[in-house]
Amino acid sequence: MSWIPFKIGQPKKQIVPKTVERDFEREYGKLQQLEEQTRRLQKDMKKSADADLAMSKSAVKISLDLLSNPLCEQDQDFLNMVTALDTAMKRMDAFNQEKVNQIQKTVIEPLKKFGSVFPSLNMAVKRREQALQDYRRLQARVEKYEEKERTGPVLAKIHQAREELRPVREDFEAKNKQLLDEMPRFYSSRLDYFQPSFESLIRAQVVYYSEMHKIFGDLTQQLDHPGHSDEQREQENEAKLSELRALSIVADD
Amino acid sequence: IDRLDVDSLFSNIESVHQISAKLLSLLEEATTDVEPAMQVIGEVFLQIKGPLEDIYKVYCYHHDEAHGVLESYEKEEELKQHLSHCIQSLKKIYMQEGKPNLLDMGSLMIKPIQRVMKYPLLLCELRNSTPLSHPDYRALEDAFAAVKDINVNINELKRRKDLVLKYKKNDEDESLKDKLSKLNIHSISKKSKRVTNHLKILTRGESQVKDNTFNREEKLFRSLEKTVRHCVKNISFCLQHIQDAMTLALQSVTELREISYNKDEEERGYSETPSNVPNPSHDFAAHLQRLVLTPLSALLSLFPGPQKLIQKRYDKLLDYNSYLQRSVGDESDLAKKEYEALNAQLVEELQAFNQAAWKILLNSLCSFITLLRDMMLMAQQAYSTVVPVPPLVSSISEIQNQVLEEVQNLNFVKDNSANFIERKLSFEKKKPVQILPEVLRQTDIHRSKLLSTYSAEELYQAKRKCNATQEYDINLLEGELVAVMEQKDPMGSTSRWLVDTGIVKGYVYSSFLKPYNPAKVQKVDAENRFCDDDFDNISLFVSSRPASDSVTDTPEGSISDSSSSLSGMCGKFETNGTDVDSFQEVDEQIFYAVHAFQARSDHELSLQEYQRVHILRFCDLSGNKEWWLAEAQGQKGYVPANYLGKMTYA
Repeated sequence: MSWIPFKIGQPKKQIVPKTVERDFEREYGKLQQLEEQTRRLQKDMKKSADADLAMSKSAVKISLDLLSNPLCEQDQDFLNMVTALDTAMKRMDAFNQEKVNQIQKTVIEPLKKFGSVFPSLNMAVKRREQALQDYRRLQARVEKYEEKERTGPVLAKIHQAREELRPVREDFEAKNKQLLDEMPRFYSSRLDYFQPSFESLIRAQVVYYSEMHKIFGDLTQQLDHPGHSDEQREQENEAKLSELRALSIVADD
Repeated sequence: IDRLDVDSLFSNIESVHQISAKLLSLLEEATTDVEPAMQVIGEVFLQIKGPLEDIYKVYCYHHDEAHGVLESYEKEEELKQHLSHCIQSLKKIYMQEGKPNLLDMGSLMIKPIQRVMKYPLLLCELRNSTPLSHPDYRALEDAFAAVKDINVNINELKRRKDLVLKYKKNDEDESLKDKLSKLNIHSISKKSKRVTNHLKILTRGESQVKDNTFNREEKLFRSLEKTVRHCVKNISFCLQHIQDAMTLALQSVTELREISYNKDEEERGYSETPSNVPNPSHDFAAHLQRLVLTPLSALLSLFPGPQKLIQKRYDKLLDYNSYLQRSVGDESDLAKKEYEALNAQLVEELQAFNQAAWKILLNSLCSFITLLRDMMLMAQQAYSTVVPVPPLVSSISEIQNQVLEEVQNLNFVKDNSANFIERKLSFEKKKPVQILPEVLRQTDIHRSKLLSTYSAEELYQAKRKCNATQEYDINLLEGELVAVMEQKDPMGSTSRWLVDTGIVKGYVYSSFLKPYNPAKVQKVDAENRFCDDDFDNISLFVSSRPASDSVTDTPEGSISDSSSSLSGMCGKFETNGTDVDSFQEVDEQIFYAVHAFQARSDHELSLQEYQRVHILRFCDLSGNKEWWLAEAQGQKGYVPANYLGKMTYA
């Protein structure tokens, strides 16, 4: 397309058809977004794991403090209750740790591995870009010579330039084709790759919570003698609190 | 009219009425059909004294308050009108009944109190006029005593409560100015007496005044306070963490889901997205707040009041204690009374307090556990709706590795693997380290010269780097060999020695030198040398390799496979300028083999232990830094980098 006039600055030669370029941009864009997603997800999962661990640690602390309290010495029932609670909390901690490990193995590690592919992709795209620049440059040179008078030396130069151009163009086209071919495959591989992780994550949570439900269910059975409901307890608390407030030794406000 | 607080004005007047009616009926029973001279009523009073005391106690206690309330009402026109209106109508009734001396509300309200105080007087009169032989005499005696007791008790109760009120109000409402104004000789002396008494008790042990019940209750009180305080703190923290963890977990699930499924599949497979399911921790938080944290916090806030009183009681105890040791007088009586009043009140009410506090604590804990259980169930259900069929765990890694392998087989991955990038990084790192100092380093030649010139006893090695500080001092680097020529310096000091390094002669401090043991040198060097930059770079690579690869496999694989496609790259590599420049700046140093190495192919070079080699390149053709191109005895080949140690005695 040598009749297109040179613009000021870089000549925007359409050596690559617009559709191809567009396709490329689109596929690469999707992959860039995926990269961002995996990175963010990795960070979030780490935060989530840390939060889980912090939670079970603080739960254990509750029962630990209760156990170390002198009240336990004074009342056997209370001691039993607190011991049972402590056992439950410790088990919660253990299960939680296990859950975090499981998630680490089946979700976070795979995420990392998947993410490690992206630098290669980016490098490949960069090199295609470089190849494209070279291609453009040499193409422009060929066209420049072609515009000149067809004298002998010029013809020789043209021929030489074309010879130089050819491998560069082939290189670019190879790279381009390769990427256009492989990017969608990479993109679609994520589905098969991550679905197991997702399912594993859900499964880990379900297992954990059902265990927890059982543990705490057993605990409530063990401790709650008359089996008050929440409302009854609330009312009783209120009653006791008013009783306390009525005592003269308590400050009135 | 609505504002008229009937309860606080009249408290339990109805009970008073009831008991009075009962007393009346009992009395009537006792006196009907009986001759006045034979009437026996002492029993009646004895029967009724219990409830009488309780009911009147309450009324009397509240009377003060009621009076206050009445006074406040008097100040309000509307209420005052209303009250006087009521009084008028009451007066009318009274007129009809023939009791004209009704004055006002105040005197009406005080009547029961006057009544209960009259009983002792009346009974006393009756007893006095009863002959000893009368069957009722004993009963009357007892009744009189009982009724007197009632009055005393009522008074006592009032006093205790007043005392308590006084001390509580004091501590709360005082400002600094008030406190300062109360400081006078009297209070200062009181306080100092208390302090000394306190110390006396601490050092000598027992005080003479003790109340075990009180001590027990107080101990329980303190434990309860500590428990409640900790519970509030810990449960709050735990709640916070639970909320954070749940939220983050749900968020991660949503994000992972996005990646794992196409948009259209989402609608197909999983109608209940995790984002639709309410976060179970919110409910949990609300309930926990209501059922556990609020009551416990409220309870916690009730502790300080009694604590202050306990402290006050202790002060009174100290006062009383001090008086016990001296003469008995008015002061000591007062101290005793105050202490006992406060003590009794506290004992009674602390017991009630502790009981109630216990219950609240237990309830809260039970609620906490129940709530946890419910929340876990909810969470389980929330997550269960999302995935229909969970797969086997073992197959996950298989599937994923397979996918990953496919991906990594894609050309763009193979061509552009991460090693490439890190290799560049490590080369850039190498540049600054290789700056050689201008000072001539000791080389092999120098060392061998020393070894031959001097005997073994004279040879020492530098333990560490020595910097020249004085005239005629020399610099030494760690490990350099020196021969000691003289074990003293020109000044005669034996800590500075004259040494020969083979290059120069000069002085160093003897503490920097240790005897040279040739057998140990090479091994030590090897260990030392492994600590420097090469090793750093190697480890960089070892971790970057995909897990399935082993160190020995890759060089051959990569040499043969990618040599064709990568030779072009190597060419490009060289034309890229910067990399190669830095590479060639690197001094080709002499290394030696720490272990023997057997070559397995033409590419590799066999080495004997401690064999010296010349390194031509610190990477192989594919850029793998674990294999170096070495030359020895005219032969070239690749050797594993970690078999090599640097030989410069720097």
